[in-house]
Amino acid sequence: MKKMLGLLLACALVLGACSSNGGTNSAGEGGNGGDGGDASKITIWAWDPNFNIKAMNLAKETYAADHPDVEIEIIENAQNDIVQKLNTGLSSGTTKGLPNIVLIEDYRAQSFLQAYPDMFHPLTDSFKAEDFAEYKLGPTSVGDTRYGLPFDSGVTGLYVRTDYLEQAGYTVDDMQDITWDQYIEIGKAVKEKTGKDWLSLDPNDLGILRVMIQSAGSWYLKEDGKTADLADNAALKEAFETYKKMMDANIVKIHSDWSQYVANYNSGDAASVPTGNWFTPSITAAADQAGKWAIVPLPKLTNNADSVHASSLGGSSWYVLNVPGKEAAAEFLGATLGSNVDLYQKLVTDIGAIGTYKPASEGEAYKAPNEFFGGQVIVQDFAKWTAEIPNVNYGMHTYAIEDILVVEMQNYLNGKAIDQVLADAQKQADSQIK
Amino acid sequence: MNIRAKANIVSWSFISIAVIMICVFYFYPMIQALIMSFQSGMGTNLSFVGLDNYKRLFTDTTFIAALKNTFIYLIVQVPIMIILALFISVLLNDKNLKLKGFFRTAIFLPAVTSLVAYSVIFKYLFGPDGLINTMLLKLHLINAPIEWITDPFWAKITIIIAITWRWTGYNMIFYLSALQNIDSSIYEAARIDGASSFRQFTSITVPLLKPIILFTSITSTIGTLQLFDEVMNITKGGPGNSTMTLSQYIYNLSFKYTPDFGYAATVSYAIVILIVIFSILQFKLAGDKNG
Repeated sequence: MKKMLGLLLACALVLGACSSNGGTNSAGEGGNGGDGGDASKITIWAWDPNFNIKAMNLAKETYAADHPDVEIEIIENAQNDIVQKLNTGLSSGTTKGLPNIVLIEDYRAQSFLQAYPDMFHPLTDSFKAEDFAEYKLGPTSVGDTRYGLPFDSGVTGLYVRTDYLEQAGYTVDDMQDITWDQYIEIGKAVKEKTGKDWLSLDPNDLGILRVMIQSAGSWYLKEDGKTADLADNAALKEAFETYKKMMDANIVKIHSDWSQYVANYNSGDAASVPTGNWFTPSITAAADQAGKWAIVPLPKLTNNADSVHASSLGGSSWYVLNVPGKEAAAEFLGATLGSNVDLYQKLVTDIGAIGTYKPASEGEAYKAPNEFFGGQVIVQDFAKWTAEIPNVNYGMHTYAIEDILVVEMQNYLNGKAIDQVLADAQKQADSQIK
Repeated sequence: MNIRAKANIVSWSFISIAVIMICVFYFYPMIQALIMSFQSGMGTNLSFVGLDNYKRLFTDTTFIAALKNTFIYLIVQVPIMIILALFISVLLNDKNLKLKGFFRTAIFLPAVTSLVAYSVIFKYLFGPDGLINTMLLKLHLINAPIEWITDPFWAKITIIIAITWRWTGYNMIFYLSALQNIDSSIYEAARIDGASSFRQFTSITVPLLKPIILFTSITSTIGTLQLFDEVMNITKGGPGNSTMTLSQYIYNLSFKYTPDFGYAATVSYAIVILIVIFSILQFKLAGDKNG
C-alpha cells in the first residue's frame, strides 16, 4: 500500500513538473513572438494602463489606418518589472523575448543607454528634435545621437483645494507665484482652520526634493551626470530645509504607497499636491470633488534666484531596442508620436496626457477648459509651464543617490546639522558611484 | 567486460545525470558569480578590479546598515520564533487535546501562503489607517496611529511580526514530528519521580530535541540572511534603509540603480561567507558533531 502511494506521489511530481514545463514553454514562445522574428510585428512594453498604454493604443489605431499589414502588440508591465526584465535581458547578451519598443523613465534613461551602449537603436533621423521640449532631449540622448522619442511631460503644478483655502481665508489668487515658505504659511492656516493636512508625503520618496532642485536648474549630479553634487549644492540645501519646515509645521500626512497617497486626496484628508500633471486622473477620480480643485504654478525656492515656477517630476520616453524589426519600430514611432499633431489632440481629450511635442500645443484640445477644475484651461497652463522647465542632466545615478539622501534626510529631521548631512551624503555617494 | 564492470557503468550513468545537472545548474553559476564578484562596471561593461569590491564592502554604509538590520532580525526574531514554535508544539503534542488536527493545520497554514501575498496583506493590516491601528485606536490603547511602516523602529517590529507569523508553524512541524519520536515512557518515569511539567520540558523535551533545534535555528538563520520578499513588499527597505536587508540591497544594486552586477555578486558572496560562519558557530555551540 505504502509503495503504491509512493509511486502515485512520484507520478504526480513528474506530471506536475511536465505540466509546469509546458506552461513556461508556451509563455516563452509567447514572449518570443516579440523578438522580431518577423519584422512586420512590433512589440511594445509600457506601464500604467490609464496613461501610457492608452496612449500607445491610440497611436496604434492611427498607424493601423495607413499600415494595415503591420501588427502591433502592446504589453502592459509594471515599471519595476520592465526595468528588471530589461536589465536581465540586455545583460544576458540575448535579445530573445525583448520588445521592439520600450518605455523608460527619464531618470533612468542614461543608466540604460550607457550600461548597454549597443542595445539601443538611434532615432536621430526618425523625428525632429527641435519640435520637442528642450528639457526632454538631455536625458534621451547620448552626445548628439537621439535614442529616445520624448513622450509625456512631467511638468509640475500645484493642485489645491479651493474650498479649504476659502475656509482658511485665502483665495486661489493668493496661491499664484508664491514661494515654498509662503506655501507652508498658508498650509499652517489651512490646518488650523479646517483640521486637514496640507499635503501627503512618502518619507521614502524624495520626489518633492527633485521638483524643488530642478526648478532651480540643479540636480543630485553635476553637469557631467556622473559626479555627485550634494555638499555644495545651494538648491539642495534649501530644499532640505524647506522639507524640514514642512515636517515641523505639522502639516504633512504620511503615506507609504501610491494607493494611500491617492486615497489621502480622494477622501479629502489633504488639501494640496505639488506634483506632475499625470496626477490629474487621480484627482478627477473623486467625482464628488468636482469644482473644488484648482491648479496653480509650482512654488519656487525662497532664497534661490535661479528658481522658477516650473519643474518636472517623472515623465518618460520611448526607446527602440536594437533587435530585428527596429526599422519598422522606429518608423512607427516617427509617424505617430514623432509628428502627428492630431494624435496629440486625441491624447489630451481622451486621456489627458500632455506630450512634449511643441506643434501640438497650437491645437484646439489644448485650449479646452476643464470643468472639474472650475473651467480652468489646465492643459494650456501645463503647456506654458513645460516651456519654462530648466534643463538638467539627470545622469546615471538618480535613484542610488536618492536612497542615500532618504537616510540622511531622516538624520537631518532628527537634529543632525544640515552641512554635516550633505557632507556625509556626498562622501557616501562618492564612494558608491563610479 | 565482466558483470561487475557493466553494473558499475550502468549505475554510474544513472548518477551522472544528476551530477551533470548539479554541475551545470549549481556549480557553474556559483563559479561564474565568484568570478563576477571580482569585476565591476555598468551593465555589460564589466572589467576586473581585483579585490576592490570586497574592500568597498567595508566602507559601504548601506551594506553595513543592511548587515546591522539583518543581525537585529536574527538576534530578536529567531529566538522568539524558535521558543514560540517549541512551546506551541509541546502544547499540541498533548494527548488529551481535542481538535488537535485543526489547531495544527491552523498554525501551519501560514507556511503554505505565498510570501508576496501575505506581505501585501500585512502591509495593509499595518498601514496608517489599517486594521491594527483602527483596532488599537478603538480599544483606546493608543491615542494616535502607530507608524508601523514609516517609523524606523516600528517598521522593524512589523517585519519581525510578519516573519514570525509566517515561519513559526513551519518550525513547529519539525518539533512536533520529533516529539512523537520521544518515548512516552520517559515522561511517565519522570512523572513517577515527581518531576513538574516545566522540569519535564527543560530536562527531557529540550535535550532530546537538541538536534532538531539546531537544525531549525540554522535554517532560520539562513532564511533571515536571505530575507527579501517581506521587506521588499512591506517597507521596500524603508524608511531610509532602516529595514533594508542584504538580499534587497543586491536587488537594488542590480535593478534599481545603474546595474553593477559585479558588486551585487560580491554582496551575495558576503552572504555565503556569513552563512558558512554562522552554521559552523551553531554546530560548535551545540557541541555535537552529528548535530
